[in-house]
Amino acid sequence: MVLEATMICIDNSEWMRNGDYTPSRFQAQAEAVNLICGAKTQLNPENTVGVMTMAGKGVRVLVTPTSDLGKILACMHGLEIGGEMNLAAGIQVSQLALKHRQNKKQQQRIILFAGSPIKHDKKLLEMIGKRLKKNSVALDIVNFGEEDDSKTEKLEALLAAVNNNDSSHIVHVPPGPNALSDVLISTPIFTGDGEGGSGFAAAAAAAAAGGVSGYDFGVDPNLDPELALALRVSMEEERARQEAAAKKAAEETGKQENEGEQQSNSQDTTMTDQVSAPVSEADTKKNDMMDEENALLQQALAMSMDDPGSSQDLRDTDMSDAAADDPELALALQLSVQDSAKDSASQSDMSKLLTDQSFVSSILASLPGVDPNDPSVKDMLASMQNQSEVSSSNFIGVHQTLLVLIEYGVYSV
Amino acid sequence: MSAESAATALLRSQVDLLDFIDWSGVECLNYNSSHPLPNAVKQGYREDDGLNLESDADEQLLIYLPFTQVVKLHSIVVKGPEEEGPKTVKLFSNREHMGFSNVNDFPPSDTAVLSSDNLKGHPVVLKFVKFQNVRSLTIFIEDNQSGSEITKVLKIALFGTTVETTDMKGLKKIEDHQH
Repeated sequence: MVLEATMICIDNSEWMRNGDYTPSRFQAQAEAVNLICGAKTQLNPENTVGVMTMAGKGVRVLVTPTSDLGKILACMHGLEIGGEMNLAAGIQVSQLALKHRQNKKQQQRIILFAGSPIKHDKKLLEMIGKRLKKNSVALDIVNFGEEDDSKTEKLEALLAAVNNNDSSHIVHVPPGPNALSDVLISTPIFTGDGEGGSGFAAAAAAAAAGGVSGYDFGVDPNLDPELALALRVSMEEERARQEAAAKKAAEETGKQENEGEQQSNSQDTTMTDQVSAPVSEADTKKNDMMDEENALLQQALAMSMDDPGSSQDLRDTDMSDAAADDPELALALQLSVQDSAKDSASQSDMSKLLTDQSFVSSILASLPGVDPNDPSVKDMLASMQNQSEVSSSNFIGVHQTLLVLIEYGVYSV
Repeated sequence: MSAESAATALLRSQVDLLDFIDWSGVECLNYNSSHPLPNAVKQGYREDDGLNLESDADEQLLIYLPFTQVVKLHSIVVKGPEEEGPKTVKLFSNREHMGFSNVNDFPPSDTAVLSSDNLKGHPVVLKFVKFQNVRSLTIFIEDNQSGSEITKVLKIALFGTTVETTDMKGLKKIEDHQH
């Protein structure tokens, strides 16, 4: 948890147009910069990161050290490639920027992306290194892009001059299929000398493994770990279930899937009524779930049954205690709970399916936790059978169904 | 000898300012991490001649010592080895967070050129008038006796009085005059 101020020196010279790192050297660099900023800020919220360019029209500080990630990401847009990298001036300017950091207690660090050939000689670099060491500035070097012997040698000499107690590192990234940022994640540049950063690195690595664009289910595991976990578990159980269901489907000729599709078409209007506050996040999740709503619903139900020790059940008991005695109160609770976007999305999916009575009864019968002979279940089933096709009644019937299910700890709210 | 005794008499009213150093804000630039600043300044460590403060990349050292209260600085003792001990020592009072780049930007409050006598522990009397209201002290060791790459410092001790409170220990030492 070292308190650090970091300046990132980006190489935006002509050599960065090359495509030997996907999609281009410059893009790979930009991604790496974004990841580094995130990692540093996660390590310690008081860490600050600044960004500057070494080539282009000249050495220029884009962002002075700040803990505002948005500023840093914004400044990476619209950067032009061109010119030649001026390493000495770049390091000097970063040193100056770090010297004027607001919180003098922060350790100073420079992260240098060296992609183009270095025109300075070794002596000069060693002097620069010494000056950095004297002012207790650590230096991390990312050696990528152009490869020639003297460049590596010069950078190693620079590192040797700066290095004080292994606080400075150099990473050589050869061109290849792996993204620059993926290679960097496992290096000490990210892990911060072995402490702290491993949590972020692990999450970033998992996210990267899930796909270049990011995450498996359109849900960021960092933002919403419970939902991501629930979706992932439900996907796994879905696969197991589908094998069993495939055998059943041969007998029943896919009756269940047809029902699910009909409901999604006919109940669109109902759904729009019910979604009170269409938050964009809810929309995303709704769209995702609509694709696999039937299967996912079953898996979510199964999962919450299989996982009795989870906190979800605690919440269920809270709801059921209140709901058990007073149906009207329960309905009010239900509506208020529905105001939260996530719940409304899930419940709307549930409600589409539950309005089909036969489907509901078959589910209830199949669930081990529900006793079909229980009076409250029977009452609810009776009320559902009596209700007309008016959407408002469906609405209420659905909610009563949900209450019962919640009571049995089946459906988690 | 009379000058010496006068100096020691003055010293008696002064207190070792070690107790008033605010350790949380102490900084030292260009030191070798295996020979850090506390070796030269902290009680016990500084008496141990085996432990010393050493410079790293070159022979200069920049030491920043904030105080917990305002002090008046009277004299300073810098002990070091004959060869690699410091020679030119510049003192800046009340300048925060100086770096090697701006040590030459403003004149020091006082400059001391250490003789071998000083390096053995003889205190250097400073321009008292310049150190009447010291919240922090920056010690810049510019070079060493032999011009070698590394400067070694065995002990740094500061003597003076506090401004806000009267130090009872100091009062006891005073024989015939009070501050």
